[in-house]
Amino acid sequence: MTFSGDRALAIARRQAYVLQRAPQRWFDVVVWPVVDAILFGAIGVYFGRQQGAAAASAAFLLAGIILFHVVFQAEVSVATGFLEETWSRNLLNLMVTPLSELEYGAGVALFGLVKLAIGVTVVSLVALALFAFEITSLGLALIPLIAVLLFVGWSVALVVIGLILRLGQGAEIMTWGFIALLLPLSGIFYPVNALPGVLQPIAEVLPTTHVFAAAQQVVAGHPLPWDEVGIAAGGAVVLAILGVWYLTRMLATFRRRGYISRHV
Amino acid sequence: MSDSSEPTQRAPVLQARGLVKEYKRVRAVDGIDLQVDAGERVALLGPNGAGKTTTLMMLLGVITPDAGEIEIVGKRLPRDRSAAMEQVGFAAGYLPLPERLKVNEFLVLFGRLYGIHDPAPAAALALERFGISDLALAMGNELSSGQRTLVGIIKATLHHPRLLVLDEPTASLDPDVARRVRNGLERLCSEEGTALLVTSHNMLEVERLCDRVVFVSGGRVVADGTAEEVATRFGRDDLEGVFLHLADTAQPGEQAQ
Repeated sequence: MTFSGDRALAIARRQAYVLQRAPQRWFDVVVWPVVDAILFGAIGVYFGRQQGAAAASAAFLLAGIILFHVVFQAEVSVATGFLEETWSRNLLNLMVTPLSELEYGAGVALFGLVKLAIGVTVVSLVALALFAFEITSLGLALIPLIAVLLFVGWSVALVVIGLILRLGQGAEIMTWGFIALLLPLSGIFYPVNALPGVLQPIAEVLPTTHVFAAAQQVVAGHPLPWDEVGIAAGGAVVLAILGVWYLTRMLATFRRRGYISRHV
Repeated sequence: MSDSSEPTQRAPVLQARGLVKEYKRVRAVDGIDLQVDAGERVALLGPNGAGKTTTLMMLLGVITPDAGEIEIVGKRLPRDRSAAMEQVGFAAGYLPLPERLKVNEFLVLFGRLYGIHDPAPAAALALERFGISDLALAMGNELSSGQRTLVGIIKATLHHPRLLVLDEPTASLDPDVARRVRNGLERLCSEEGTALLVTSHNMLEVERLCDRVVFVSGGRVVADGTAEEVATRFGRDDLEGVFLHLADTAQPGEQAQ
């Protein structure tokens, strides 16, 4: 299979025009990050004051929400990038060009990185300005943690796109729904043993749980627990394989059953 | 299936053999064979639900046939879909332009997807050719249906395809715009040798534009030849008569689709 960088860049450019001209798209990229940073920062300060450790408590929650926005922005930017083509009834136009699935995915993911950078910068700046929390205080540990979260976000996006291909636009709620499921299950703001017992095994198999466990260790002043990062990376690889497999199958189903008729 | 009135040595740009597609026990396409030669202008006709659009979508690699083979300029689908589509342009009267793109941005985007490194000059030239240069900076969703169709055809021809596939290109256009579209297509085909495969419900337009017509009904090819040959074969005066005859004899479910 040949890969054209020009075609991938053309798709990234198309996504940039959409963000530039659709004010509502800035909601995911700017508004939610600001809301989350204020909400969780304030909760952290309030509960921390009860125990005389407001700054530490806020740092714990803010590190969690900033890293959560990595996985959120990665997933939502790719999934909504695809949804934009279905909303614009542009899917058929794209499918009859030489554009390959890989080129399309690369283009959407490339611009998704830009959106992710904007979103994570916004949430980080709000955390710094309002709560004096600096995410870079986590140091180089951020790199592997962000890398794993990025892969998890993209993998979930592949599953969501597969669902939209299979079920139509009715499945678009999963763009935000899947990530919302990760929020309570990944132990972002509390240890996994705080979850109901029946949910703990599910939480343990999620790569995000191990990323946030590792981040909490670092926030507490401990070195990065590489065993947690290793488990998270392994889980992310499994999730990526599942995502590619599912999307490939759903695309084959889409072509076999003629579901393009839903999008013209 | 070459043009029976004019034996030709032209190489085929499209060859489809034994195409079959079934949806939930309804056989939408039932063994269609179709060949389009270089520079040839072919109309694929038939009542609603006859299997035209499903056939087109299979030829474009968007729908996978249950059986049959498709080759475009020697490239086999689905294996070589990407290489094959470099030689194909597609436009449909029912497709809107994507929102939030200006006309020139839309053309440059698709020019790049079709492998043109710097599509802007080609886009400007094509807009001029169709007499709509003034629309270059208009947003896609501000265009009338006629303007949208013209821009869609320009998009489909920017990369000088060997085969141009058009689904209902002049549906809902007024006669003046429809004539401009037809003239633009005739000029393109004669100047660049582009083959044309078009579906339309406007029989007069088809008679003017196409060398050959292929009628499908119930998912099968029921006639293939020049407009005169097909009309004669069905004992009608023109294609409209053939169309109405086939519509009358179509299965009830076929028309309703």
